Order: sequence, then C-alpha cells, then structure tokens
Amino acid sequence: MSASKLSPSLAALMGAAAALTSAAHAQTAAEGGTTVGYRFNEYGEDSFDGAAIGSRERYKVYSQQFQLDTRLPNNAGLDVTATHEVMSGSSPWYVLRGADARPVQVLSGATIREHRNELRGSYTIDPGTASSTTYSASYSQERDYRAGALGIERSIPLNAALTLGTGASLSHDIIQPTDAALYDRVRHEEKNTFSAFGSLAWVIDKNSVLQAGVQLNHEDGYLSDPYKLVSVGSDILPDHRPGTRSNAAVLLRYRHAFAHPDAALHLDYRYAQDSWGVVSHTVDVGWYQRLGQGWQLIPALRYYSQQEARFYAPFFGVDEHRFFSSDYRLGTFGAFAASLNVRKRIARWEFSGGIERYHAAADYALGSADSAVPGVLSYTRGFVGLDYHFD
Amino acid sequence: MGTNRAFFAVITLGVLLAGCASTPVQPWERGRLARWDMRWDPDPLQAAANEHAHFSKEGSGGHIGAAGGGCGCN
Repeated sequence: MSASKLSPSLAALMGAAAALTSAAHAQTAAEGGTTVGYRFNEYGEDSFDGAAIGSRERYKVYSQQFQLDTRLPNNAGLDVTATHEVMSGSSPWYVLRGADARPVQVLSGATIREHRNELRGSYTIDPGTASSTTYSASYSQERDYRAGALGIERSIPLNAALTLGTGASLSHDIIQPTDAALYDRVRHEEKNTFSAFGSLAWVIDKNSVLQAGVQLNHEDGYLSDPYKLVSVGSDILPDHRPGTRSNAAVLLRYRHAFAHPDAALHLDYRYAQDSWGVVSHTVDVGWYQRLGQGWQLIPALRYYSQQEARFYAPFFGVDEHRFFSSDYRLGTFGAFAASLNVRKRIARWEFSGGIERYHAAADYALGSADSAVPGVLSYTRGFVGLDYHFD
Repeated sequence: MGTNRAFFAVITLGVLLAGCASTPVQPWERGRLARWDMRWDPDPLQAAANEHAHFSKEGSGGHIGAAGGGCGCN
C-alpha cells in the first residue's frame, strides 16, 4: 500500500464524472444491452539502475478485471466490476546521503507479495440520458489496507447544448501495516476522504464536445506511508506527513469526430494543486482510428509534470522540518507515456489489446527541481481483453 | 490562491460556454457524438487500469476519467 495512492473516494468520484459526461453531451444512443468484459493486465517496472542498496528488482503487478454492465427493467442501469491483483517486488524504502552528498536509494527486499481484491458497483437511474442519477459503492481489501467508498452523482441538462454535472463521495480507509512490531511501524491507522466535483459539458457542434470541471478533495487522518523511512541527520525515522491534505483540480476535455479519416480525437488537460505544495499538469492526446471490418487502432500520448511537496527531500538535516518524506512520488519529476491499443469486433465479440511505455525523470519536469528524486521509475504495461455484447 | 484562480477560471469558462451555446445541435445531428469513440472514456475497464497505474506512481491525486480504488501500489 502507499499513502500517496489515489483514494477510492476520488476514484469513484471521477469515475462518476466520466459516466456523467457521456450523458452530459446528450449522446442519443442509450445502449440497451448487456455487456460482460474481461481484462488481463501485466505491469512491470524497470530495474533500478542508480546508486542503490538492496534488491534492484522493482514492482510487478498482474491484474484481472471482470465487468457486468446491464440494463434493468425499470429504466435503470447496473454496473459491477471486480478486480483481483497480485503484486510483488521491491520498492524505495529510504535514501542515504552518499559520497559528495549524492543520494543512495535503499530498496526493500524483493519479498513483498500482496493480493488486492476490489468490488465496485453503480446503479444509475435514466442511464444514457442528460438527466441521470448514479449511486455508487466500492470496497477494496489487501492484507494491510481496506477502503470503502460511497458516492452519488447527478447530471442536469441546462439547455440543448449544456449539461451540468455534480457529485460527491466519502471514503474510509483502514491501514494495518504488516510486520508492525518487527519494524516499529504504526499498528492501526485510519483516514477519511471527502470529494466533490462540478462540471459543464458543451455540445459545440455535431462533431465536437467540450467539458470543463472542478474537483475538490479533502483527506483527513493518517496520510504518511508506514512502509517508508527518512534519513534525518544521523537518524532513520518514519515517514511523517501532515494529517490533512486538500486538493483542487481543473479538468478540460475535448472530443472531435472526423469523417475523413474516420476517427476521433481526444484531448484532455488537468491542472491540480494541493495544500502540500504539489502542483501538477497532465496532458493526454488520443487518436481513435477506425480501419474498417471492425478494426480500430488507438495510439495515445501522455505527459505529466509535478512540483515537489514542501516537505520532500531525499534526506534531511537535523530538525530541519516539522514534516519530512523522501517518497519519490512527492518529488519534482515529469513523465512521458506512449501507448498503442488495438480492438477488433466480430459479431457480438470484441477483442482488445495494447501496450504502454511510461518513462519518468526529474529532467522532464516543467521548471527546475530543488531536490534529487532517486526513486523515480519507468515501466511497461500491457493488456488483453475480451467483451461479449448480448444485444 | 491557485485553487481560487482555478475555480474562477472554470466558472468563467462555463459562463462563456453558456453564452456561446446559441445554436444547439439538433438530436438528428448527433449521430457522430453518440459513437463509442466519442465517449469521455470509451473503455472504462482500460481507463481504470490506466489511471490506477499512473496515479499510484505520481504524487498528485485525482485524474481524468475512471480509476480503480483501494491501493495495490507500493
């Protein structure tokens, strides 16, 4: 587990945003059928190639997703998704001050092997319309981490072209680190997350739609990472972060359909800022190219940049800060990702597959980095999937 | 401060959108908008996997589109 993970509350909320907005631009084809889907994903991080102590083999994750999406008789929709993940490998633990003050990353042993199970469900009234209401719930469990979330979303048509989306959710997380006595970790901690969002979707013309949204997120409780340590002077201390974190983000999303070539352009931008000082920019560009005979090719690019939290550094002097963390995810870095997906529809069956390469580095960040980020990583990820459409 | 600026930027954009939306697209003109590849997230399962991978390795929580919950990261 990780304290800088995406909260299930926020995940549910933004899933809701996605669901809302298909209704928000009043797509007329309310799909009435049932679909079942399966995905197998493999994720592997590159081996650590910097100055390090410990295993250099980093994380691998194998995950399976199952989905049922169906219409109910009372003009409602039900969507149930189950996920099972198996994770293993080593991860950044803490950073030592090496020769010439260069950071030396200490990695945990490659003995971690965890499972995660997640169940997510949503019930939507009037799905596929501009005025829908969705109730959602999710539960995720690992050996050391449990999280439950509830959410509600509503879309309201303002006129023929504009749709307002709103939503809120709450989540409660329980953290019970493994080997707590052995490593003097916290035994039992909790945190709560409240999220809210609002969006406007605009049908610009018969080929394009635009969405603008704001999301707010507030976390309260234990937000440190119980598995990470920090080098402070001559001591090695537990990761120590503030007990609250507020985040605000602005989203812009644009879709444009082309007749020649038969394709759709996806452009997304997100700006986020939080009370820890982390500021980020994310740009996604995707091209959905139809090739005929049920084939579709989807190349995509992604760029991400963040500025570090106020209390991040690879290592600290004595009493330098009230809070301190050397988690690379709170440092300054940027990342480029490129992906290519393929889909093929044959009657009621739909096959899909794809690969993504993600490469992160401090040099890719917008602006300059105040501190080194030795743990920053790159990975390759692939998936294969199969869907069956009953109607 | 930045949060306030972002909030007002979106509100302003919303007002501008409302002002621009004077020639609505008729229902019979929305065929392309209803296509699968014009959805915000055409493949929710894949979107969830993508966002879970990206944001479990990045420090700025929140994302565009659907994502998995829980943790499953390190």
